[in-house]
Amino acid sequence: MVYLSLTGVLFVLGLHGLFTARNLLRRLLSLNILTTSVFLLFVVMARLAEPLDNVPHAIVLTGIVITVSTTAVALALVVRIAGRMREEDVGAAADPRGDVE
Amino acid sequence: MIPETAGPVILFSLPLAAAITVFIRPRWSVPVTLGASGVLLAAAVWVVGVVLQQGAWRHDIGGWTAPLGIGWNVDGLSAALLLLTAAVGLAGAVFHASRPAPLATVRDPRFFWPLWLFLWGGLNALFLAADLFNVYVALELVSIASVGLIGLAGGSAQAAAWRYLLATLLGSTIYLFGVALLYGRYAALDLALLTDGVERDGVTAVAAALMTLGLLLKAAVFPLHFWLPAAHGRAPPAVSAVLSAVVIAAGYYLLVRLWFGPFAPLLGTGVATLLGLLGAAAVLWGGLLALLQRRLKMLIAYSTVSQFGYGLLVFPLAAAGAAHPAWTGAVTLVLAHGLAKAALFLAAGAIVLRHGIDRLEALGGDQRGATLAWVAFAIASASLVGLPPTGGFLGKWWLAQAALATGGYFWLAILMVGTGFTAAYLWRALQAAVRPGREAGIDPATLSAALGLAALSLALSAAALGLAAPVLGVLLDAGPGAPG
Amino acid sequence: MGVAGVIFDVLLALALTWLAWQATRAADLFHAVVSFIVFGLLMALAWVRLEAPDIALAEAAIGAGATGALLLSALDRLASRERRRRLLYEPGAAWGFWIPAGGALLGALTLAAWKLPAPGLGNEVRAALGVSGVEHPVTAVLLNFRALDTLLEIGVLLLAAITIWSLGRAPSPLIPAMPSPALPALGRLLFPVFVLVAAYLLWRGSHAPGGAFPAGAVLGAGAILMLLAGARPWIRSSERGPWRWILSLGLVMLLAAGIAGTLAGQAFFEYPPGTAGPLILLLEVAAGLSIALLLFALYLRGEPCEHGYRGKGR
Repeated sequence: MVYLSLTGVLFVLGLHGLFTARNLLRRLLSLNILTTSVFLLFVVMARLAEPLDNVPHAIVLTGIVITVSTTAVALALVVRIAGRMREEDVGAAADPRGDVE
Repeated sequence: MIPETAGPVILFSLPLAAAITVFIRPRWSVPVTLGASGVLLAAAVWVVGVVLQQGAWRHDIGGWTAPLGIGWNVDGLSAALLLLTAAVGLAGAVFHASRPAPLATVRDPRFFWPLWLFLWGGLNALFLAADLFNVYVALELVSIASVGLIGLAGGSAQAAAWRYLLATLLGSTIYLFGVALLYGRYAALDLALLTDGVERDGVTAVAAALMTLGLLLKAAVFPLHFWLPAAHGRAPPAVSAVLSAVVIAAGYYLLVRLWFGPFAPLLGTGVATLLGLLGAAAVLWGGLLALLQRRLKMLIAYSTVSQFGYGLLVFPLAAAGAAHPAWTGAVTLVLAHGLAKAALFLAAGAIVLRHGIDRLEALGGDQRGATLAWVAFAIASASLVGLPPTGGFLGKWWLAQAALATGGYFWLAILMVGTGFTAAYLWRALQAAVRPGREAGIDPATLSAALGLAALSLALSAAALGLAAPVLGVLLDAGPGAPG
Repeated sequence: MGVAGVIFDVLLALALTWLAWQATRAADLFHAVVSFIVFGLLMALAWVRLEAPDIALAEAAIGAGATGALLLSALDRLASRERRRRLLYEPGAAWGFWIPAGGALLGALTLAAWKLPAPGLGNEVRAALGVSGVEHPVTAVLLNFRALDTLLEIGVLLLAAITIWSLGRAPSPLIPAMPSPALPALGRLLFPVFVLVAAYLLWRGSHAPGGAFPAGAVLGAGAILMLLAGARPWIRSSERGPWRWILSLGLVMLLAAGIAGTLAGQAFFEYPPGTAGPLILLLEVAAGLSIALLLFALYLRGEPCEHGYRGKGR
């Protein structure tokens, strides 16, 4: 099945992007691709089952809504961080250093 | 009505209902939250009582049995963690409600309370869930609420919140990949069904590896702890308390559920030793870094990395044959750590409010307004180090027994060295109290005694846990979570 | 599956791989985001090929539509052209590590997935469908068999909106520059169509692909389009107005349905015999409306203005 291989490819691409990209937005895109690969696995299994299994479909629908929620929170956070660090590279915003009082 | 189901229904529904209420009517936040917290604590105590009396039970949601439906599973482990959540939740709410009026650390108090209650609801849903996908949804609820609460501190806390969000989302996605593989293999998501049906094969092994990796990231196990100190060190005090005490424990809880449930057949010496070594490294590395910190809250945050290392020692000790003492010991340590660590963070919050700064060298001098907090700090430290008769002592005692019974002298040595580190860094923190300090910070008269009392009640609970050994033994024996 | 089908699948998979690659590695951030949106649209095709039309609908509306709008508007905020150029630089892709590691991971995953027997729960779902109150199996799973997931999921949506509000005020103006002069007119023209499609999907959901999730997503996407077309965000965060109630409605109804089961002496979330059909329809309407409004609220990226609560800002 073509889509089964695609699952693995997207999983690896997502992981790769997540770990090598420095830009915050790009990391978020990578994470979304990673999540899509998981959904794909669920749906491929639903398709392989005999008869067609609808439980993974419901699971993925739930997952899509959750993913858009987390993505929206992440984006709102990124925009705030970027606004706070106008002078710096957005990619450096996740730097662990920095003081707090 | 089946009487025992009322407990879980209250624990599941009330935090969410209260969250909606305080979202719609922010001015009712404090009375609604405190009232709900009291009821939740009572419900959790009741659930523990029911488990003690009649053992573990299961509730099928909507009347649908697995594999089609979702179940709630209430046993000793989940009941204990529900009670821990309620205790920390109540104390944290009291602390947050009693802070003096100029709220320097939380920018927008109107949204603190709904986020707080959503976090509580997510945790309760997680500890009740017997279904792997339901667990995922609950995990996301916990993650988003935690991110919101960390971000409330503003400034660099938002960068910490971002790192936490990315780490925790990656963790849940990897976990979900494993869940998908398990579903494809067994057509089941229910923990009990999987426990009965799992076989030792490649698919299961890959799924177990992925799910474990995701959860290790969420539980901030060395070397995946990088996100924890900044997030826990920078959040508002009540938030740090619940994050370190319960949210990290939630990741650990799932690891234990899985490896003493469905994945038990895979828990050979190799995997167990690997997990144990990660735990040992966490104990040493976290302890060392805690010793090097110059800020009180960061010291406590690194201590969390170190303390959860002990929890992982349960795997090699159980694989070596001492499942029972290792199991009760590790869970007792997690409970004692939760109470003590929440007490430390709340006490630190009060101390930092008093002095206006959290550098260790500036915390000395006039301690009016922070005396209770320092007393709580000292008692909680005693439990974290493991002085008898505290809960920390009891947990370490059981773990040490397990190590001695199986000849695991290496693990015993880790336990000892870790205890030395803990004593050293907490002693450093306590020493700060008696140094001469500068005169600054807030007027002690504005500090409510409730701040110190909230910390003190948790610290005393951590200490008293050591006296509850017989009850804990019975409680943790109840249910499928307990091995053998 | 015919030869043409296989060729189509292979081409689609290749296109998806290329787009995913572009989304993570393209030099230009705007390019990356657009690739991601097209990726979402093509995924909708893949879902259709995998016989999951419900997911295809939701993916097109949420995965590509709402997420795409979110990403594009964030991009606008993140980077003026100069700043965007500074973001171009990406460090090395660490091929020395990633080619062997990724290959090994890919091998392990594919091997594991190939061996899956995938028994599925199709027979169980079919057997229980008769008493579920609806005819469409996905709706039965979402609002009956696994209704607890749906409850928590609507909770996640509401929580995400509150979290975003807690980060600060919504930027104003929300849309700094109009991308195309034709968009406002188009948006106003299309909005009624979106409402109709949403209503149709909701009605269809009890017996065919559709239902609350796609309907809510389509409605939410339509509202976002209106916003892009220059409409003012009409949600208010005031405690006095109805908006907080309306946003919470879905979660309130689902919780009430759950507790009602317990109070009636049955299991949590157990519908009384014979009432499952109408109750599920009621819950679907509430959940769909919540999804639409919350998606819209997520898009605002901050607490909307309050109305009648002046002078208390930061």
